[in-house]
Parts: sequence; C-alpha cells; structure tokens
Amino acid sequence: MSWANGVGTANVTLVVAVAVLVGSGVYLLLERTLTRVVLGTLLIGNGVNLLILVGGGAAGGAPILGRTPIGAMSDPLPEAMILTAIVITLGVSAFLLAVANRSWQLTGDDEVQNDYEDHRVIERAEHREADEETEADTDTDERPEEPGDQPEGAG
Amino acid sequence: MTGFAALVPLPVIVPLLAAGVKFALGPRMEALQRWLSAATLAAVLVVAVVLLAAADRYGPQVVRVGGWPAPLGIVLVADRLSALLLVVSSAITLCVLIYSIGQGMADDDRAGPLSVFHPTFIILMAGVANAFLAGDLFNLYVGFEILLSASYVLLTLGGTLARIRAGTTYIVVSLVSSVIFLIALGLVYAATGTLNMADLAVRLGGLSPDVRLVLQLTLLLAFGIKAAVFPLSAWLPDSYPTAPAPVTAVFAGLLTKVGVYAMIRTETLLFPGRQTATLLMVVAALTMIIGILGAIAQTDIKRLLSFTLVSHIGYMVFGIGLMSVNGLGAAVFYVAHHITVQTALFLVTGLVERRGGTASLDRMGGLARRSPLLALLFFVPAMNLAGIPPLSGFLGKLGLLRAGVAAGTPLAYVLVGAGLVTSLLTLYAVARVWNRAFWRGTPEDATAEPGSVLEARTAMSGTRIVVPSVFPRRMVGATVALVLMGLAFTVFAGPLVRYTDRAAAELLGRGTYVGAVLGGRS
Amino acid sequence: MLVLLVVHVLAAVAAPLLVRGMGARAFYVLAVVPGAAVAWAAVRTPGVLAGHPAGETHEWVPAYHLYLVFRLTPLALIMVYLVAGIGALVLFYCARYFRPDEPGLGSFAGVLTAFAGAMLGLVLADDLVLMYVFWELTSVFSYLLVGHKATSGTSRRAAMQALLVTTLGGLAMLAGIVLLDHAGGTSRVSALLEHPPGGAVVPVALALILIGAVSKSALVPFHFWLPGAMAAPTPVSAYLHAAAMVKAGVFLVALLAPAYAAVAPWRAIVLTLGCVTMLLGAWRALRQHDLKLLLAYGTVSQLGFLIVLLGAGTANAAQAGAVMLVAHAMFKAALFLFVGIADTRTGTRDLRELSGLGRTAPVLATATVLAGASMAGVPPLLGFAGKESAFGAFPGDPAVLAVLVIGSALTFAYTARFLWGALARKPGVPDTPVRPIGPLFAGPTVLLALTGLATGCALPYLEPLIGAYVGAYPGHADHLALWHGLTVPLGLSALAITSGLVLFAARFRPRRLVRFTADHAYDQAMRALDRLAVHVTGFTQRGSLPVYLGVILATLVVVPGGALVATGLGRDLFAHAEPWDSPAQAVVVALMLAGAVGTVRARVRLAGVLLAGVTGYGTALLFVLHGAPDLGLTQFLSETVLTVLFVLVLRRLPRRPAPSPRRPKAAHAALGVIVGALVGGLALTMTGARHQPPVSTGLPAAAEKGGGKNIVNVTLVDVRAWDTMGEVSVLAVAATGVTSLIFLRGARRLPRLGRHKPPPGGVWATRRTAPGALRPLRPGTVARGAVRWLSAVPTLSPERRSVIFEVVTRLLFHPMIVLSLYLTFSGHNTTGGGFAGGIVAGLALLVRYLAGGRYELAETAPVGPGLLIGLGLVAATGTGLAAMIGGGPVLGSTIWHAEVPLLGEVHLVTSAFFDLGVYLIVVGLVLDILRSLGAEIDRQVGEEAA
Repeated sequence: MSWANGVGTANVTLVVAVAVLVGSGVYLLLERTLTRVVLGTLLIGNGVNLLILVGGGAAGGAPILGRTPIGAMSDPLPEAMILTAIVITLGVSAFLLAVANRSWQLTGDDEVQNDYEDHRVIERAEHREADEETEADTDTDERPEEPGDQPEGAG
Repeated sequence: MTGFAALVPLPVIVPLLAAGVKFALGPRMEALQRWLSAATLAAVLVVAVVLLAAADRYGPQVVRVGGWPAPLGIVLVADRLSALLLVVSSAITLCVLIYSIGQGMADDDRAGPLSVFHPTFIILMAGVANAFLAGDLFNLYVGFEILLSASYVLLTLGGTLARIRAGTTYIVVSLVSSVIFLIALGLVYAATGTLNMADLAVRLGGLSPDVRLVLQLTLLLAFGIKAAVFPLSAWLPDSYPTAPAPVTAVFAGLLTKVGVYAMIRTETLLFPGRQTATLLMVVAALTMIIGILGAIAQTDIKRLLSFTLVSHIGYMVFGIGLMSVNGLGAAVFYVAHHITVQTALFLVTGLVERRGGTASLDRMGGLARRSPLLALLFFVPAMNLAGIPPLSGFLGKLGLLRAGVAAGTPLAYVLVGAGLVTSLLTLYAVARVWNRAFWRGTPEDATAEPGSVLEARTAMSGTRIVVPSVFPRRMVGATVALVLMGLAFTVFAGPLVRYTDRAAAELLGRGTYVGAVLGGRS
Repeated sequence: MLVLLVVHVLAAVAAPLLVRGMGARAFYVLAVVPGAAVAWAAVRTPGVLAGHPAGETHEWVPAYHLYLVFRLTPLALIMVYLVAGIGALVLFYCARYFRPDEPGLGSFAGVLTAFAGAMLGLVLADDLVLMYVFWELTSVFSYLLVGHKATSGTSRRAAMQALLVTTLGGLAMLAGIVLLDHAGGTSRVSALLEHPPGGAVVPVALALILIGAVSKSALVPFHFWLPGAMAAPTPVSAYLHAAAMVKAGVFLVALLAPAYAAVAPWRAIVLTLGCVTMLLGAWRALRQHDLKLLLAYGTVSQLGFLIVLLGAGTANAAQAGAVMLVAHAMFKAALFLFVGIADTRTGTRDLRELSGLGRTAPVLATATVLAGASMAGVPPLLGFAGKESAFGAFPGDPAVLAVLVIGSALTFAYTARFLWGALARKPGVPDTPVRPIGPLFAGPTVLLALTGLATGCALPYLEPLIGAYVGAYPGHADHLALWHGLTVPLGLSALAITSGLVLFAARFRPRRLVRFTADHAYDQAMRALDRLAVHVTGFTQRGSLPVYLGVILATLVVVPGGALVATGLGRDLFAHAEPWDSPAQAVVVALMLAGAVGTVRARVRLAGVLLAGVTGYGTALLFVLHGAPDLGLTQFLSETVLTVLFVLVLRRLPRRPAPSPRRPKAAHAALGVIVGALVGGLALTMTGARHQPPVSTGLPAAAEKGGGKNIVNVTLVDVRAWDTMGEVSVLAVAATGVTSLIFLRGARRLPRLGRHKPPPGGVWATRRTAPGALRPLRPGTVARGAVRWLSAVPTLSPERRSVIFEVVTRLLFHPMIVLSLYLTFSGHNTTGGGFAGGIVAGLALLVRYLAGGRYELAETAPVGPGLLIGLGLVAATGTGLAAMIGGGPVLGSTIWHAEVPLLGEVHLVTSAFFDLGVYLIVVGLVLDILRSLGAEIDRQVGEEAA
C-alpha cells in the first residue's frame, strides 16, 4: 500500500472531486464574462492538481525525512509538480485579472467580445452583394473586350 | 559527455539572467540595455551553432541539471532536431529584436519597450529554448508556460481595445491547451511513474497499446492547439495580427513551431509506430485547404498571412504523418524554412504598414513604384512562401511530395494533391496582395510620408504615433537579413537536407537519444 | 553553361542601375548578354552535330535528385539559337521602343534579362526537376512583365491569369515529374529517354506532364491566357508570347516524344488538343481588329500545329515540326515587333484605322510582307518548307491531315487580313500619319524577316541541325527541300493557299462560335473560389471565444474520449480503485462540491469568487489529508492572494455581469458534465494502469545528499530546480505584464509622504467625505493628540481609519516578516520554502496597505517591485551559473560546513540562495500587484471622483 510499490490504486473520492471541479470549471470557461472565465480556469486548475495527486498513488505521511518512514510517505514528486503548477496558475491568473481590469477601463465591462474581422467575413458569406467585393479582388471586371459581330467599317 | 554538453543550459539560463538584470535596472541606461538584449540573443545564437555542430558530430548532447542522474533529475538534451531549431529561432529572434529596437527608437516610443518589451521578449526566447531542449515532459510544460506567459504580455502590449480583445482569446485558449497538457502529464505519470522522456520511451512500451493510444491522443490534442492545426486553429488568425509588428512576426515564426516540435518529439520518441498516421494525414489535409481558403477570404495583409501560416502547418503535419525518414526530414526542413520566411514576411508587412499607412488591401496601393526596395523585400519571401522554385519553400514542398509518392498509399496521394492545390492557392493569395498593394494605383489617402501619423496597430504602445522616418535603418537591415537567410536555405539546401534527413533518422531511431540520456556516456 | 546563366543573373541585377545611368540605351548593353549565348552556341555547334553534346553537372540537393545538370543536345541547340537570338534582338529593340521616362523601366529591364536567363536554363536543363525550376521562373517573370503597366486593371488581371493558369499546369507537371522520378529512379532526361520506365504509373505521370506543356503553350482548354497577356508591352509579347516562353511546352513535348509518344494517352491528348487549338485559334484570329490580338490568336493556332507535329512521334512529323518551330519563332517575332513599331509610331494598332503604311514605310513593309508570307506558307520561305513536309508527314492519318490543310488555309486568310489591314491603303481612310522610324528600331524586324527568307533558300545548311534532332526518332525522315516535284503535299499547299485567298477575297469573317468563352469560365472559377473561401471561412472562423473553446473541448471528448470508449478501457474503471484513504476526505469533497456548484450558480461576481475560494481552500485541505503539507500551505496562501486580487479588481466592475443574450446554458452544462466525467474516467484508468514503481523512489536518498529533510523542498530547489527556475520566471513575466497593463505609459512610483500631496478628501475618500477633511500634515511630525501606529495613516480619509486595525497591523507586521524568513530558510528541512515565505511577506505588505492606504505601502516598501524581481531572478539563475563556473553541473548545489562560535557547527546549502531568489520574486509579485491593482487603481478612482 506504499507509494513505492508498483501497483496503482485510484482514490475514488478524489477522482469525484476532480470530475466536479473540471466539469464546473468548463461550464464557467464557456461564459463570456472574463472574471468568471478566470474562476473557471482556477477550478479546473485545482481539479487537475488533484488529478496529478491521484496519479501519485495513495495518501501517506508528509515526505519529510525523520518525520515519516520512507515506506509510509506520499509520493513527493507529484507534489513538487503540483506546487510548480499552483504557482504558475497564480501568476497567469493575476495577469488575466489585469486584462479584465483593462477591458473594464476600455468597454465598461469584462465581456469577451467577438472578433470584428471575422464578422465582416461572415457577413460577406451571408449577403450576396458581398460578391462585388470579392470579384474586385481578382480584377475580373476589366477584361479585354471581344469584338462584336457588326460588319467591318473599312472595305 | 563531451565538453560541449556543458553549454546546453546556456540558451535558457543566460537570457533569464539578462532579463533579471533588466528588471532590476528598470527604464534606466537605455543604450546599455539595448546592447545587453542584442548581446544576449547573439550569445544564444553562437551557443546554438556550437551545439548544432556538436550534436551532429558526437550525437545528442545531454546535461544532467544539478548533476542528478536521469531519470530522477531533469536532463536537457540537444539532439540534431533541437539544435537546428534552436539555431534558426535564435537567429530570427535576434533579427526581430534589432528590428524592434529600430522601430522603438524611430517612433521615439520609449514607454513600454525597455522596461517591458525587452525583458519579456528575452524571456520568450528562453522559454522557446527550454521547450526545444527539455528532456523531461514536465519541464517541457514549464518551457511552454514560460514562452506562453511572455507571449501574453507581448500580445497585449499597450492595452488597446483590439489587443485586449485578441489577447483574451489567445490567453484563454492557451490556458486550456496548457490544462490539457497538464492533464496528459498527470495521466502519463499515473500510468508510468516517470516523466523523463527517454525513460518514458522505455516504460510506455510496457503498457497496453490501448493505454498508450489514449495518452498519445491526449498529448497530440494539447500540442495540436499550440501548433494550430484544424479544427483547433481558429484562435490564431484572431489573435496574432493585432500585436505590434515585431511581436506578430516572432509569434508567427516561432510559437506554432514549438507546438510542431513537441508533436515531432513525442510522436517519434514516446509513441513510435503508425497508429495515429491516418489521423495526422487527414488533419494535415484539412489544415492546408481550410487554412488557405481563409487566407483568400481576407482583405488585411496581416490576417491573410496568419491564415497562410495555419495552412502551411499542414505541410509539416503531413511530413510527420508519413513517419518515414524522408517525410520527417522534409517536415523538419520545412519547419526551419517556414520559421524564417514567415517572420520575414511579417517584418516586411510592418514596413508596408508604415509606408502605406495601413495593412488593409482595400486602402493601399502603388507601393512598387514608390518603394522598389520594399517591393523586392516583399516579393522574394512571398514567392518563397508560395513554393516558387528555386526557393526553399519549393525544396521543402518537393521533399514532401517525393516522400508522399514514396509512401504510395491512397491517402498519401490525396495529401500530395492537397499540397499542390494549397501551393497554387497560396500563390494566388500572395499575388493578390502584390496586385493590390504594390501594383494598383495609389489611393490618395493611403500613403505615409515622414511626419505623418501612423495607425495605432504597429506601434509598440498602442497609441497613435507620429512617424519621424518611415524606414529606419535598423528595421530595414533586420528585414534584409532575414530575407537573405531565407535565400541561404536555398543555396545551402544540399547540406541542410542531408542534415535534416540525418535528424529524422536519429528521431526515428530513438536508440541514440535514449542511450545518451539513460545509459551510455555520462 | 552555368556561367552563361550567372552572367544573365548579374546582368539582371545590374540592369536597374544601368537604366538609371543611361536610360533606355541600357538595353543595347543588355542585349549583349543573350548575344553572347548565341556566340557560345555557334562555337559548340560543330561538336553537337558531330554527336558530342556538351554537358556539365553541379551538385545542389542530391537527396532530392536535384543537380544543376545541363546538356546541349541538338534540340537544345536549336532552342538556344531561337531563345537567345531573338532575346538579343528584342532587348536591342526595347532601346527604341520605350520612352526614356517610362516608369519602372529599370526593374522591367532587369526582369526581362532574367527571363532570358531562365529560358536559357530551361532549354539546357538535362533534369526534369531542374527544368521545372526554370519553367516556374519563366511563369513568375512573365507575371511581372505582363503586369508592367501596373496601374491598368487589364494588365493586372492578365498577369494574374497567366500566372495562375501556367502555374496550375506547372504543379500538375511537377506531380508528374515526381511520379516519373519514382518510377524510373531518376529525373535525368537523358536517362529517362534511354531507358523509359514502365509500369501503371507512367501513363498518369505523362498525362500530368502534358497538362503542364499544354497550359504553358496555351493549347485548348488553357489557350485563353495568351490573348489576355497581350496587355504586356509589345517586346514582351514578341519574346515571351511568340518566340520563347510559349515554346516551352512545345519543347517539352518534342523532348519526350521520341521515347514516350507510343505510350497510351500521349498521342490521343497531343493530336486532339493540337488539332482543336489550331482550328480554333485561326478561326478567332480572323475575327480580330486589333493587330496584336490577331497575331496572338494566330500564335495559339500555330502552337497547336507545332504540338501536333512534334508530338506525333514520327521522324517526318518531327522534322516538319522542327522546321516550323524555327520558322514560327522568326516570323511571329518579326510581326510582333512590326506591330510594336506601328503602335508607337502611329498611335493605333486597329486595322480599321491604319492605312497606307505600305507607302510611308516601304522597307519595314517589305520585311513585314516577307515575314507574313513565311507565316502563310508561301514559297520560297521557311514556313512553306515546314508546311510542305508537314503535309507529307501524315499519310496514314487523313483526319489530322485534313485539319492541317484547313488550318493552313485559315492561316493564309488571317495573314492576308493582317497584311492588308496593317499596310494597305484603304478607301475612305486617310493615310495614318507616321512619326519617323529609325533604322535601329526597324532593324530587328528586317533582320528576322530576311533570316526567314535566307533559311528557306538555304535549307541544306539547316538540314543537318534538324536531322541531328530527328535522328532520335525511329526510322529516318525524308529529304528537306522546297521542291520535291509534283507531289501530294505540293498540291495540298496549293489548295490551302488558294482557298485562303478565296476566304480573304470574300472578306470572310466567321461568326462567334459560342458566347461563353474559356475566359468567362476562368472568371467564374475565380469567383466561385472566392465565394467558397468566404463561405468556408465564415463557417469555420466564428470569431467567438466560447465557440473556439467548445470545439477544443469537443475534440477532447471525441478523440481521447472516443479512444477510451472504443478500446474498451472505460469498461472496468473501478478495477484498481478504493473509496477513500480517510473518510475525512469525503467530508471535504462534499463541501467542495457545494462550493463548485455555488460558484457556477452565483450571479453576483463577488459571491462567485468566495464560493470558488471554498473549493480552493478545500483543495488545500485535501492536500494536507493526503500527506502533502507543503502543498496545503502553498495552496492556502496562493488562494488567499488570489481572493485578494479578485476583490481588488472586482471593486470597479459592475456587481453582476450583464446577462448576455446568446448563452446556450444546457449545451455548456452538458459539455461540462461530459468533460468532467471523461477526465475522471481517464484518471481512474491511467492510475490503474501503473505497474512499475515511480522514479521518485530515488528522492529520499537524493534529499539526504542534497542536505535537506523536506523531500519536496529539496526536489524544488535542487533535484528539479530547473523547473522552479522556469516557474519563477513565469511569475516575473506575469508581474511585468500586470504593470504594463495598469501603468500603460511606463511605471509610476508610489506616492511618498511629503513629496506627493494626498488628495483633499484623503485616500479612499467617499462621497460623504467633506472636502478638506484631511488635516494638512508635515512629514515626520506627529499629529497632535493621536498616537500614530502607522506613519502614513493620516493620509487616509478620516472615516476609513480604524485604530484597532492600525494597532493589529502594527503588531502583526514584523512577526509576519520574521515568519516569512523562517519559512524560507527552514523550508529545506520542514514545511515551508521560498514561495510560502514570499507570500507571507507579501501578505504582511497587504495588511499594511489595507490599514494605511497607498502612502503607507510606499513607506513600508520604498523599493520598486522591479528591483526585487530582478534581484530574485539574478539570484536564482546566478546560483545555477555559479555552479557551472565552479566546474560543477548547472544548478548543482554544494554544502558548506563552518564552525561558528556560540552557534557551533552550521552548514549552508547553496540551494538556499536559489530559494532566496524565489522568495524575492514572490514578494516582488505581490508588491507589484498591490502597487498596480491596488494603489494605482486607488489613484485613478480618486482622479475620476475629483
């Protein structure tokens, strides 16, 4: 039952926590309010950290020499990775919140808006008159004229 | 380990140190700081070149960080692939930095640049280098995070509305890809109990093929987002074009390629075999075609180029999907070529924007007459991108076609066809830019002379700025250097292709890499 | 031969400078370059005729069978004479054709010279891939040349059209070449001719290659680009569209025919398209008023003729073809050059307006008539010789023969129409005024016309050269001559000429065959392409972040999730699972579920944040319960910082987000559930799949070696310090980013007591604050009556002050700093570490800021965060480099032991410096956040209020 033996056993309770955190995080992620999106990433982040913990095997004592016998410890490597992940998440979230604040300064809200150029294309796709615009791109309007069938002037 | 291995950490740690110094200095001592940034990247370039020679001559250069033996500690590995990409990316980063220095000085736009742009830009390089050198899957993740966080800052530089909007999309999508990567990491560790890639190459073999497949697909998804393959690519054209010209250039050139690199590395080292070949090929075809159609639909040069970028990622994925030495070699060659040409094109576009006063094809014209130099600087890389012989774009395409035909499967032939169609449509897209921006008569409003006010979009800090001179020497010089670098790929294609084929053989062989990290020389 | 090409390149590069220097006269100099090529060919000719083709090889990309390999075969020799000879004449002609002030003349000259070089390379290449290289180059150069009149939409369109059509064919051809290379194991032409590969793929390859030839030589169905390309300056039309580039396809056919004409689809394609083209071109030529267009359609017709002859694959046909190839190049170039002269010197090329040129420019007119006669196939000119042998070459194939005769008749007719229209004096039309034509200008035309006559009469001298090429075919060809006696061919020639005369005399102007031309088809194709692009892009590129994320997550569900289900791994998920390690976990998780659900449902921003905090702290608890105190501590601290951050930002945002109309809640919820379940399932499966002990079993020993007891901390600052280094650089960047977004134009220093006057109402003043409520305070002086627990607190607006809070802060601050340092340095042996320490110090600063406002923050931390972060990063990376410089591995740690009086034996691990770096960076980050999202936003709020 120690972390050092080769058999992996998953802790269902933690897995449930993972599933719920990720699930609710995803829901928040799909919203348009940036602050709630950030919350979503935080929830997912915690969920994933727990997932890494689960992958490390069963619980144990703190991996501190002299405090816990090596056999009874929890796997320290995932813990180190999770710690790194936590810190990175902290930094990125701080930056995202600054972005949210900036977007408030500019638009009075932290709503995530759609891309303008994409919408121009979508509109061109939806309206026929867009054809003129696209034709102009190939200069197809200007073609060397083909002589008509009227009889020759001279002769 | 040869003495050269000791150099492996430098491309990461030196830029970080320099960045630290710059943070401490803040906006003080401008001249010194500019010099410092350039010197740092130049040093990285030199180290990279040495590593390339060493990796090619003596095999993968491995350094065990802190002296801890693999697989316990972290190893950094410079094999042929990593070294080549390191050389190319440090070279273009240096050019872009010089360009940006030129632009910052020309626009007398000192607010952001020194205290924000320079250190962040250098850290970006450190992150890219770390990703290329990582011999540990988790460290690869960290490398990605470094370059991504740097890219977040660079993309939102100046905080204009357009950049905030684009930045939000970019950051959130990247976050999701990172989360998926992290999930994959957790799963890989859960299943194998290790993260050292060489060790994984061994341990994954012991797992059931099903388990392996699931892990492989999860990682592919994470990297697919970063590499912007269809259908995970839509974020890219929305986010890149709004950034300052040098930033867009380096993003377009480098960032997606790091994703491609990660794909190549994991597909060859961790998951040999053809189980995902079909998937990759289909994805490649879709990416090529849908990407280039996107380019044709655009009226803004930067967006148009961003779509060609997506489209040409398809070529590289095609090469990976072939899983043959020729295919992979051609893909690696194409990566190197594409980094250079794509960056060059975006730098030129920056100049075009200064000269034409806009990047919209509807509102510019007559550049060929007004600035033949600019015309030349655009035309050569544009034709290179379109795969016009004898330029490197053609050679890369030729290699992929040959590999595809050699594979001889129906799907491979489909990909060959798709590749040809894509290259024709690319030519159409860039020729249209030429027709409208360079040939068509000048719309009176579309011209920037010294002293005129430039649209906010290229400027570092997003504010409108008065342009004292349209073509600062440094900017033009850096662009010329990049265009010449692209031509060099054509002239020295022979040795280069031999090298990339060797690199591909090394990748598919796996043995040398695993041996160098785990076993043999230390 | 490489030298010749290099010379062309150099000349091309020098051309713009020459033009700038000497104007249009620069063309005289440039003409020397192709002239040199002619001379070189002349020197080589005897050797080639003697059967020793010159050749040379240079390496380029061997891996792709790509060599710079050139070979001067008889066919190549013929082409060199045409390409270089006419090239020289055309360049010479340009000197007079262009006005000196012509815009863009420099680049034009360069491109035209470069084109001559590319054309030379094309005919000399002995490798199909190399030939393709030059092939595409000619396409690109022609694009630039056709678009010379850049401001005219017609030129731009024509240029684009020519480029796309020829490149389309070119790419097909490339595919064919690669296939042929794969089949034959080489792309070397000489080898492929000697040993033609067999196999099912060869016909496909040939068909693809023929597409290239057909498109380049403007055969049906690709013919339409050639008339369009007449938008180019006339010298370009004469060179590219009569003599050189359009011959590339013919050349390729002539090159491969000896070995491949017998292979299945070849003859069918070549003869059909050739015949159709010959008739259609001639037919439409008869309809033109514009002399140049008339010639263009004539060229189309003639190209069809040439392809029929050179593609047929018999010695006789080939001989006829070769003669016609030479003849056509000369007379068509001559006629184009004439049109150019007429155009520039009279201002029109419409045959209805031109009149009397025959009288006003007799010499030029005579030359033109000569050239025309050759085109019409009148003895004793070369064209006649060609037609004669052509008529004799298809005895067994009446259909083709008939087409050739009809085609020739039409050719005679449109030639007559051309000569009449260009030279004759027309009733009712006054003589067109002609500006003087210098001899240098007319020279090339006359010369070409005379050569046509000379070669016609001097057939015997031409025969060996032609014969050398024809020798490649099985069987031998009949003798070339103007007079074979009264033969069928002679009769047919007579027939063609007479009927042509009749057609002309009857002023035969054919009706338009179809209203819908290939040119329209091109337009519609391009339009369709643009529409398709717009539609596809409009569909895939929605521009909406939720959509993008939805697609990504859906892919996650479909691809790895699909695999999980398909492989059946998902079946027994709980095989290797247990409910929990301790029931306590279940309790905590239950709480967290509540928190998560609450976060999702909360509409008020702040509520959402606090409920999310529940899950965060819950996670911390789970870490502790799992036996990871360091994680627990870190998670707890960073969760706290995040909550503070949120509050700082949220205080300005609207309380609840604006309800956005488009939000398919159900779909999002469903996706959430599925993804959550998937990730859970993956976790169970993969954990169950483990059958080996983890590498971390080596960590305890490593910790011993690393001189620490806390394995996690040793891992972070030593074994995996490289990760930590990356992690802290992420923090550094993030901090910079926050600054850059809050202080847009460069960071502002915090306001200091005394130096910066606080706002009238005090910091954090509210609407109720009476203006000037703040007592003016001189720095350093203690306000009378009040003990100041915090130095800057008087800058607060009165109602924000809370003495208890100030006292508590006062008491807490220093212990917290001490604690932070303790955590940092003891971390190596017990729970703690630089990160935890840093955050505690940061929280201490936070408390000061909350209690005393931004002035207080400044008093507490007079240094900028940039400095802290910088020093931290330098410390962390420096430790690494120092170890390297010390000869050790990067980031390698060493332990120093020392006897210190009183303290006894202490030992110091270098990795402590590393952790100190981490500490500094974290403090820097928090300070940076407080300064920007806290203090700076306070200031902005204050300004907005004022």
